[in-house]
Amino acid sequence: MTATLSDAPVVRTAPPRRRRKARISWWSLLYLAPALAFFGIFVLLPIVASIRISFYDWDGITVASPTGLTNYVAVFSDADLREALLHSLVLLVFYSALPVGIGLVLAGAMSRIRIYGLTVFRAVLFLPQVLSSVVVAVAWREILADDGPLNAALRAVGLGGVARSWLGDFDTALPSIGVIGTWVEYGLCMVLFLAGIATIDRSLYEAARLDGAGPIREFTDITLPALRPQISIALILTITFALRNFDLIWNTTRGGPGTSTTVPSVYVYEDAFQNRALGRASALAVVLTVVILVLVGAVQLALRERPEGSSRGRRGRRARRRV
Amino acid sequence: MTRSTVRQRGIRAALPVIVLTAALAGCSAPGSGGAAQSVEQKDITSKVTPADVDADGKITLTMWADVAEKPLMEKLEPAYEKQYPNVDLQITYKSFDDLVATVVNAANSATPPDVFEGNIGYAVDGALVKGKLVRPLDDVAKVYGWSTGAGSSTLAPAKWNADGTSFGEGTLYGMSPISEVQGIYYDKQKLQQLSLQPPTSIKDLEAGLVAAEKAGQRPIMLGNSDQYAATHIFSDIAATTQDPHSIAEWIDGDANSTFQTPGNEQAAATMHDWAQKGYFGTGYDGLSNEDAVARFAKGDGVYFVGGSWNGASLDPNAFGFGSLVSGGVGATASPWHISTKSKHQNAAIAFLAMLRTPEVAQWILDTGRLPVITDGVTASNPLQEQTLVALRDTIAAGTQVGYYDWTTTDMLSKMGGALQEVMAGRMDPATFTRTVQDVRDKARG
Repeated sequence: MTATLSDAPVVRTAPPRRRRKARISWWSLLYLAPALAFFGIFVLLPIVASIRISFYDWDGITVASPTGLTNYVAVFSDADLREALLHSLVLLVFYSALPVGIGLVLAGAMSRIRIYGLTVFRAVLFLPQVLSSVVVAVAWREILADDGPLNAALRAVGLGGVARSWLGDFDTALPSIGVIGTWVEYGLCMVLFLAGIATIDRSLYEAARLDGAGPIREFTDITLPALRPQISIALILTITFALRNFDLIWNTTRGGPGTSTTVPSVYVYEDAFQNRALGRASALAVVLTVVILVLVGAVQLALRERPEGSSRGRRGRRARRRV
Repeated sequence: MTRSTVRQRGIRAALPVIVLTAALAGCSAPGSGGAAQSVEQKDITSKVTPADVDADGKITLTMWADVAEKPLMEKLEPAYEKQYPNVDLQITYKSFDDLVATVVNAANSATPPDVFEGNIGYAVDGALVKGKLVRPLDDVAKVYGWSTGAGSSTLAPAKWNADGTSFGEGTLYGMSPISEVQGIYYDKQKLQQLSLQPPTSIKDLEAGLVAAEKAGQRPIMLGNSDQYAATHIFSDIAATTQDPHSIAEWIDGDANSTFQTPGNEQAAATMHDWAQKGYFGTGYDGLSNEDAVARFAKGDGVYFVGGSWNGASLDPNAFGFGSLVSGGVGATASPWHISTKSKHQNAAIAFLAMLRTPEVAQWILDTGRLPVITDGVTASNPLQEQTLVALRDTIAAGTQVGYYDWTTTDMLSKMGGALQEVMAGRMDPATFTRTVQDVRDKARG
């Protein structure tokens, strides 16, 4: 540290700006080093390794042989994988669209109505996010079981005909897993939106109310536009969760019955740990990552902050017109 | 934003790509440069004595075992450490799924366990042999007389050719002291109520199913969410519609055999038929095998078609076990291996040798499993006695076919998933047999 102090004036006497800038960034790198090392070893290195392995035919033990793009060709020509990707798209509705929708409604309601013990309520709704996914899976397996509480409730109200083993039925397994995902994610969305709403200037609402806007109008014209960054973050988190989802499925159905709940990550696991086809598993993982990045990028692009004033101005004009 | 800052940002953004490309180009192929070199392990010519083991000084023998072995290991560990006082056994237990998913990588690591359990078939044992990670045991088998007398045939699934591409004969690489047998568990009280006799064949079972269904009972308790339980029942039926040896040949990878046989189609049709008639009740695809056993133990279901490994949680006085000498899946359990990188081969061999003694065979039975060596062991309860009889009879009949998932690493989920579709009426038996054959063709070429 003494070196820093004695060095500093030297830097100041040597004026070229760019060099000084570089110097500062190197020092900050030193402070970042522990975190960077961690990030490098546990995030970057595995990613690089995965990409590398994806160009090889490798069983994880013997020397790998390079295969060029064969693994990628296999990924795109596998009918099972196409089906799995389709399942992922269905899950996107349940894991992403529904939680964001429910989160918005709940947050909107909670911010308007004074609820006694709001903190407790909020904490309880957030709880699914905190639980380990294995616990969630086991709990829901019980709830959705043939003799589980859901069926018991259905039978109690005379809907015994609908009762079934929800996760064991070809037609209901995928939506059932979807509902579990919705339950896990909506709490996160709600908390994000509540935080976002807290930053909205109250006077906007007052103004709207004076202009004669009802609660729905307030929500669509003030709350919703103001929540754009939060909605974007919520979508990014939930889309990522939906597409790389593995643990919930593995611990509830393992992709069954038949192949009705398979998703790409189930095949990544099977190829990597059962079939010992690490090349194909890595190729699939890389493709999956790219798909996630593209989707997330699209969401960010669609929901990015418009240049200053334009959206607010429009809103202002509309409000005026209403008057 | 000025043009120069744009360019700077571009360079900065490209930096990871440059680093990445350099990293990709700079290394040799994955898998080259092994983690740890194997040590030279000399063939033994006489039994390992406590003095031989003691010569290594104070050592720790590290092991990985299926958690199902825990009760047995708890008896074995003190006995072993008493006989070889310089050795400290350190056993890591893993669930079966976890074990088969990680043991190959562990064996390939710089600090592999000295002794560990693998699993028969290409996924685990094949990879271990191919990677030269497990010590050949022919010398040990010869010295300890494993390859002669009762139980010698049980070594076959642990024998491999040199490059790990086919098994059943060749060099011995592992040893399992535990056998498994399929049969029909039945609820004694319920059979009595339905005035049925204990089943000893698929025909008996089918007659019982009709009666049970009529009486409003769940005929067979099945938990098939793990996708394998139904394939075991399928194998029992398939062994009656064709020669079980032809099934075993198909599983062992005989290129001339096919899964597309009338017998397999008929067995698949029977599974569909039973499912549609409600012989498995409802919701079996949403229930795990473990949960199904637990429910059966509590009195849900008249029969449970399963293996000896399911018996431990059943009340030995309330349930019986009918043997199926006609055949079906079954074989020895996961074999034990010695790492080629182990520096303590004497201690390791002494451990494997002890596993295969008559004394330990009795402990195996006492802890709810079936030993490979059945001579001289005595059962402590009626259910155990029945299971032991079933094992002896089935081994004598030579009708055990191994397990379908030995064939390819993904057979369990592929065949299991397809059979679920057959049972639900979403796939016809001919498509099923073709699907299964395709899976093997794809993997074995």
